[in-house]
Amino acid sequence: MRNRVVITGVGVLSSLGDSSAALHAALCEGRSGIKPVQLFNTTGLGCPLGGEIADFDATKYLGQRNLRPLDRTSRLVASAAQLALKESNWSEEMRQDEEVGLVLGTMFCSVHTISEFDRRALEAGPTYASPMDFSNTVINAAAGQTAIVHNLRGLNTTISTGVTSGLAAISYAVDLIRSGRSRALLAGGADEMCFESFYGFDRAGLSCRSDRGSGDFPIPFDARRNGSALGEGAALLMLEDSDLARERGARVLGEIRGHGSSYDCSRGRSDQESVDAIASAVLHALYDGFALPHEIDCLSASANGSEAGDRNEAAGVFAGLNGQTGKLPVTAIKSMLGETLGASGPLQVIDLLETMRDGVLPGIRRLEKLDDGCPLATARSQSQELDVIDGLVNSIGLDGHCCSVIVSRGDF
Amino acid sequence: MTRRIVITGIGVVTPIGTGRETFWTNLLDGRCGIGPVQSFDTSGYNVHCGSEVRNFKVEDYLLNLDAAHLGRASQFAIAAARLALADAGVEIGSLDRKRAGVSMGTTSGEPREVERFDDAYVSKSLDKVGPEFLAMYPCHVIAAHVASELNFSGVNSMIPTACAAGNYAIAHALEVLRAERADLMLAGGSDAFSRITFTGFARLGAVAPEICQPFDRLRKGMIPGEGAGILVLEPLERARRRGARIYAEVAGYGLSCDAHHMTAAHPAGDGAARAMQQALADSGTNAEEVSYISAHGTGTPTNDRLETIAVKRLFKDTAYRIPISSVKSMLGHTMGAASAIEAAVCALAVFNNQVPPTINLNVPDPECDLDYVPNSAREVRVNVAMNNAYAFGGNNASVILRKWELLN
Repeated sequence: MRNRVVITGVGVLSSLGDSSAALHAALCEGRSGIKPVQLFNTTGLGCPLGGEIADFDATKYLGQRNLRPLDRTSRLVASAAQLALKESNWSEEMRQDEEVGLVLGTMFCSVHTISEFDRRALEAGPTYASPMDFSNTVINAAAGQTAIVHNLRGLNTTISTGVTSGLAAISYAVDLIRSGRSRALLAGGADEMCFESFYGFDRAGLSCRSDRGSGDFPIPFDARRNGSALGEGAALLMLEDSDLARERGARVLGEIRGHGSSYDCSRGRSDQESVDAIASAVLHALYDGFALPHEIDCLSASANGSEAGDRNEAAGVFAGLNGQTGKLPVTAIKSMLGETLGASGPLQVIDLLETMRDGVLPGIRRLEKLDDGCPLATARSQSQELDVIDGLVNSIGLDGHCCSVIVSRGDF
Repeated sequence: MTRRIVITGIGVVTPIGTGRETFWTNLLDGRCGIGPVQSFDTSGYNVHCGSEVRNFKVEDYLLNLDAAHLGRASQFAIAAARLALADAGVEIGSLDRKRAGVSMGTTSGEPREVERFDDAYVSKSLDKVGPEFLAMYPCHVIAAHVASELNFSGVNSMIPTACAAGNYAIAHALEVLRAERADLMLAGGSDAFSRITFTGFARLGAVAPEICQPFDRLRKGMIPGEGAGILVLEPLERARRRGARIYAEVAGYGLSCDAHHMTAAHPAGDGAARAMQQALADSGTNAEEVSYISAHGTGTPTNDRLETIAVKRLFKDTAYRIPISSVKSMLGHTMGAASAIEAAVCALAVFNNQVPPTINLNVPDPECDLDYVPNSAREVRVNVAMNNAYAFGGNNASVILRKWELLN
């Protein structure tokens, strides 16, 4: 008999607010966090828009301490961890007695720190590169720094599978709690907005363009979509063994019922293989959660405005849910947050918990005309009232990674 | 009853040889792969030696992907994966591809791709950087490329936990197989020789001028290196059914975090001892049963001293009876590949009852007073081997391998 894994707290930093309630309110009102990028100069790049966290100040969450060794990604993660630990009431004292671990999903951690360190050595000579910055060039830097800030002495894993990193981190944590190896793990993901990743996305042709009358915005599943906008965020869940949560009288926000993953060896080059892999991840999640397609009350899609990606996701979910998508309520919050990479899946999970709490599912901003034949027929731009007990969350990567998680409602 | 998982294939690409047999022979002979760095010009540095893979031809291993689109770490990983599958006698066509997965670790991913970006940036020619940056740089491409080359569509994970990444990746593969999410996993690590890594360690003053001499009183530091190590992991019953050669059982693991400092280990070896303790408990092993330890053994003054403290803290008097060696004395520090290659070393030690030496160990250090198998390999019965790895971020990872027959 495996342990059940429940969510007892969340921590969110997003372009639409630093609490799950603020995020959810904005998403349900159809507000967008996607704006002209302030953090760096976008001159010469195709799309000037991104979902930035404006005026992010880590001292608001972490107090007056020496934050100099932490780069932006680390500050985002340490801040989100603070919020999640606080909401779940995992005090400093409790963390002394029980090893709490951290599983962080991130695509880049800080490619900006890595690149700056290298450029300084190139420009001024290797003897001028900063040793302190070097410790942040490892891709597990944010997880390590966060462990130091919060005394997280359990396992400290970083998962990097692109867009699916965050959901993969949650899945990894779930298996460890189920098997009894860990009792309490912070799990989720983060990626920062920086020039290096923004440049990469732009040059790869993934950013949305204003050449089809859609404006510069990502519109998932819309026939006019032509790309995504990069975003940033950090989102962590406090996951724990349901027995432990009950013992300590913790409030249960929800449960991770099942998860599944799959890999598309064509890396998106073949639509059919991509659809098969997406369907396979959904099927594995159902199987793992002992769930049937008709039990899924809504979908929080990975769709971010990518032409092939969104189409394949719709077809993959259709196949994975055995064709039962005609009336399936759908949201795609990347229409308002942009593609937040490692943070995206956990942000979707956290917003879904809010939908379960208040009974409102956000719409897909600016969606007017669905793709012809899109099997997610009820996708709409307006938020809707909806009673959700079990929801499906998808993450689909750029290089073939597919991950699905089924989230169940907690006790309210 | 936990599903038992065994190692049936080993693939390595290292500075002292590619492929299990060459590697093991050279390792037992105490061959050293360290020499002047050839990957880039080191004239601006005060240290000049590295441990690089020479004469590597990825074309020998590629059937599907195009070498021009693969970074060096991906190339190493694909080679190690093919070698491991061949060593395991696995016909790829015979596998259920949806049940075959990949779990890889790395420190830097594909650092040369971001270095190329940086070169263009500082020379104000960024327009030379195109879509290949996003296609080749993010570290997940290593696991993705291995799976695409082999057509494996099961679990695909990338765990960049720096110098403990190989052990983390093996531990994850063990969980995946125990949870019956796959029938076969390729697990290991890969890293390419990197200017960024070299610069950083040089600036920390951690790089030795010429040789790596772990546990020697005159040790001067680590030597950055590169390579890949991949193991084929599968359930015991599956391996026996197909009549596979079984090197060792992956009996358990332990992971912990010091939560103390990004680059310095805990002064009392707290996290390291907890990881070892957890690995013993997970594998149902008593400390007295451990017959070999593959040390992290980087050769820096601090690492080797603290690692010795941690081993003594856990094993008490028994510590003096356990042969411990650091193959980094020969391979340098192959970063995210290191603990994966060292897991291969442990598997071969268990299988062959031989342990490799720590070379360049001539002057005893009173603070490092355990049995480090100085300079010559040794024949010794190895029932249980412990593979230790430590990393930036305060990460500690221990994996236990044992003779699979012991529990039958």
